[in-house]
Amino acid sequence: MSLLASYLEHAITVFPSLLRGAVITIEVTTFAIFFGLILGTIAAFGKLSKRSVFKIPSTMYVDFIRGTPLFVQILLFYYGIPGLIFGLTGDPFMIDPIIAGIAVCSINSGAYNAEIVRAGIKSVDRGQMEAARSLGMAEGQAMREVIVPQAVRLIIPPLGNEFIALLKDSSLLAIISVHELSKNGMLYVSKTFATFPTYISVALVYLALTMGISRVLNYIERRLGVSDRSE
Amino acid sequence: MIEVNNLHKNFGSLKVLKGITEKVEDSEVVCVIGPSGSGKSTFLRCLNLLETPTSGDIWIDGEKVTDPKVNINKIREEVGMVFQRFNLFPHMTALKNVAIAPMKVRGLSEKEAYDRAHDLLKKVGLEDKANVYPSSLSGGQQQRVAIARALAMHPKVMLFDEPTSALDPEMVGEVLNVMKDLAKEGMTMVVVTHEMGFAREVGDRVLFMDDGIIVEKGTPHEIFYNAQNERTKSFLSKVL
Repeated sequence: MSLLASYLEHAITVFPSLLRGAVITIEVTTFAIFFGLILGTIAAFGKLSKRSVFKIPSTMYVDFIRGTPLFVQILLFYYGIPGLIFGLTGDPFMIDPIIAGIAVCSINSGAYNAEIVRAGIKSVDRGQMEAARSLGMAEGQAMREVIVPQAVRLIIPPLGNEFIALLKDSSLLAIISVHELSKNGMLYVSKTFATFPTYISVALVYLALTMGISRVLNYIERRLGVSDRSE
Repeated sequence: MIEVNNLHKNFGSLKVLKGITEKVEDSEVVCVIGPSGSGKSTFLRCLNLLETPTSGDIWIDGEKVTDPKVNINKIREEVGMVFQRFNLFPHMTALKNVAIAPMKVRGLSEKEAYDRAHDLLKKVGLEDKANVYPSSLSGGQQQRVAIARALAMHPKVMLFDEPTSALDPEMVGEVLNVMKDLAKEGMTMVVVTHEMGFAREVGDRVLFMDDGIIVEKGTPHEIFYNAQNERTKSFLSKVL
């Protein structure tokens, strides 16, 4: 009983710090979702483009990010790039860890989003584009009016999974001392050695956050489902 | 209205069209028949450049479609197309399917476009389905909406690519009736079809295609009752 009581006490003590960490986690994730969507959409259309000026850089970006671990990308961005700038200019160069965290997560998420968006657009039946073009619509117009509205509904569910993965992966930013949820748990453990109650609390807060995202996404899916009358 | 001169189309090493030369006059209804893989759909799709011809020239209403400098969107505005699988926009109501192109392409106001769409749905007998999404319509109804959608651009020519081939048999009639009305109004039509009855009754001329060329052409009477070519005869003996 005394073990349980001490665990509970630790859980209660660590909780405010975990909440502060959760706020940072949500902040980083929200910005990364936003910028990741923009990057992903640009890269998706780049990859779909017939022109190699757009296609090649987009493909290289997606391949590089998907082919390397997020952990290494964080190290490269936070330590590697300032190191390179120092080497080139001789001036010390630092990036704010949260800014770096948001940037890396956005870039990382963007690559995965690109594939999701691209697949969504590709999976709209070819006849839709033909019908739109045969009515005299220009390609961009057909995309806007006909293809994208249909693709969005196909894109939302996998995009939701991607957002949840992003929120969980943001825990890796602990390594560059972003004081997000995991980092705050680790700090508490280093002071108290209360490993189990701290980390189970950390895990449960993540679970609450991801379930929150799932709910929001389900709501959006249902809302979009209202006009989903495709065969 | 349409003039085609020595049209060739290859898909890679596969030669699908091997030199088509043909003229379609104003208000003429030309039916294209022939076995599967004979190139009839490809021929039709070349007319509005859904397929890019490998060589040869096409003129529509005096405009050289195959000129690389031509604005293809402008030409397509004047050429309506109806597809085998309807290709209605599933995220729009029947009414919006019909109104969208006049609004976005011709720049009609929303009211003008929706009024026009209402009139056209009435014309194809679907005024009561205006606010219904395509998935709640039968195949025949979907195809009638698709015809209304093409007509909404007030095209000079209508192309039909096997418009009844994907329909249940009991729905073929309603679509053919809409097409017959259209023909009576003097619309220039090119119809790729397996409906020999329609070709015989409504067509001014019939083209029989096989293996990428027009093997034989003539009035429905000449083709259906007095075919000269062996391939035409053998095809017709199987389908009639």
